[in-house]
Amino acid sequence: MTVPANNSPLLDAGQIAFLRGGVSISVGSCGSSGLPQLVRGIGCRVADDGSQVTIFVPEAKSQQVQRDIFANGAIAAVFTRPSTHRTLQIKSRDARVTALNAADVALVHAYRDAFVEELGAIGFREDMVRTLLAAPDGELVGLSFRPTEAYTQTPGPNAGKPLESGA
Amino acid sequence: MSVVRLDAIRECFEGLIPAVIATADASGMPNVSYLTQVQYVDPQHIALSWQFFNKTRSNILGSRKARLMVISPLTAAQYQLTLEFLRTETSGSLFESMKAKLAGIASHVGMSGVFQLLGSDVYRVTEMHCLQGAQVPPPLSTLNRLAELRGCSERLRECRDLAGLFDETLRCLNEKFGIANAVILMHDAPSASLYTVASQGYPESGVGSEIALGEGVIGVAARERTPIRISHMTSEYGYGRAVREAWRGSPMADALALEIPLPGLPESRSQMAVPILGCDRLMGVLYVESPQDLRFTYDDEDALVTLAAQLAMAMHIMQGQEAEAVQPVPAVQQAPRGAPLLVRRFAASDSVFFGEDYLIKGVAGRVLWCLMQDFAQHGRSTFSNRELRIDPRLRLPDVNDNLEARLVLLARRLAERGAGVAIEKTGRGQFRLNVERPLQLVEVS
Repeated sequence: MTVPANNSPLLDAGQIAFLRGGVSISVGSCGSSGLPQLVRGIGCRVADDGSQVTIFVPEAKSQQVQRDIFANGAIAAVFTRPSTHRTLQIKSRDARVTALNAADVALVHAYRDAFVEELGAIGFREDMVRTLLAAPDGELVGLSFRPTEAYTQTPGPNAGKPLESGA
Repeated sequence: MSVVRLDAIRECFEGLIPAVIATADASGMPNVSYLTQVQYVDPQHIALSWQFFNKTRSNILGSRKARLMVISPLTAAQYQLTLEFLRTETSGSLFESMKAKLAGIASHVGMSGVFQLLGSDVYRVTEMHCLQGAQVPPPLSTLNRLAELRGCSERLRECRDLAGLFDETLRCLNEKFGIANAVILMHDAPSASLYTVASQGYPESGVGSEIALGEGVIGVAARERTPIRISHMTSEYGYGRAVREAWRGSPMADALALEIPLPGLPESRSQMAVPILGCDRLMGVLYVESPQDLRFTYDDEDALVTLAAQLAMAMHIMQGQEAEAVQPVPAVQQAPRGAPLLVRRFAASDSVFFGEDYLIKGVAGRVLWCLMQDFAQHGRSTFSNRELRIDPRLRLPDVNDNLEARLVLLARRLAERGAGVAIEKTGRGQFRLNVERPLQLVEVS
């Protein structure tokens, strides 16, 4: 689904709440050679109307993703809740690398706690999850974009279809 | 280019933590997707399950390039792999092995019927990087499989007969690898089935139970001649019903009684079936299971495949052993006394019943019937494998008759029944039929 002509946001309130929760976040970019690149997100900031999303990533692990985004702005981010497999993907061509403010760092900390809780419920140890999400506060960057495409990717017959309201 | 040694990170492919794949379309728009299954193929290759026609698939078919992120469930280390798409396989050992594994995963995550394997996409991994970052210290390994395998190998080398070899293999699995539930089945080529000759860890041994090639984890491993490993419970590869199916529609009145249940855990959460292959010949299947999810790893699979190779070699050597030169003097046993044992034989299936109870069928049934006839008519009680092989009543195949294994099976069935008839091995390729009650033999046509 692409952004409608009236520029109304793609995501409804339930979907925004989902992105803000304890869900697994993975970000993809694409280099000039056509080779994609990946980095794991550590929380995100989503505007209340869903029009702007910033995903926080560790600076060191996202070097190539940052270069790709600087070069072409293309980004895909997939969010999934491990306990339910609910999954959605958003994309954009206007991504840019941004700095975090104090409120963003607080979001990162809250995200870690939420993801620890989500994964703890399905048997993952807290130290494993915290290690996976480890990064010093000062070594995070934001990948900010206005979502222009959104898809449901929950396994099943609708996987890959454009996101619909309430999905 | 980085050194690619996927065998060093196989724990990443066990499915504990989902992998993530990134692809891109011709316009340079990336796509990210979670993967249900990443199959280790060899140190430079992996296979991914193709289940749906989706964006990932269309991008792959276009660019043939992808990036994959996997996470070690032991250390939380993140590895980034660069993939080059090679081909899709829709049959054969890799496909069947992934299909079975996927059935387990699907059932585990409540996606039975949603996850279906359309193909195994094989990729060459051209680069492998461990992303810099924090790691959890890996847990201290409590099992050195290579050392334990050597211990098993040495113990199997000491075995001198087939029955001992089977039992020692099962004991080794338990003592060296902590695998308490295991079954050894032999392949019967003419009937395209497998029959149980030994088991461990079950209330009933299930010796003599059968399963068709292609049925369940065991049958698929046998048919495809490849190990099948499932890490979660699934009904799709359950084998309990297979035997019942095999006998459905049989005209025999006693058909249901011919079912010896296969040994199996009521809630098996991890299963692995390893074909026992001697050169290119399927000799049987070694099957192990556990009530735990994710109990068996790639390393366990390696260990059992290696153990099965030695088992195959030892079985091959022992099956070929014969009593040399000296034929046993047919011993004549005094006629036993007491209440007679009614033994009925149904010629159509070569099945033998003691009283009302089914005992055995097939080749082993024919062997037992002939031994009992010789005993009843001539008082003979000692026999050699060599004479059985040429006995026209037994109609054994010219090669690979598995006679030794069938005698092991027969001896065990008789011992379990405890009806006063037993087979006792008396030397290499020789045995005695011990009969404690008069036999009343009835042929039912």
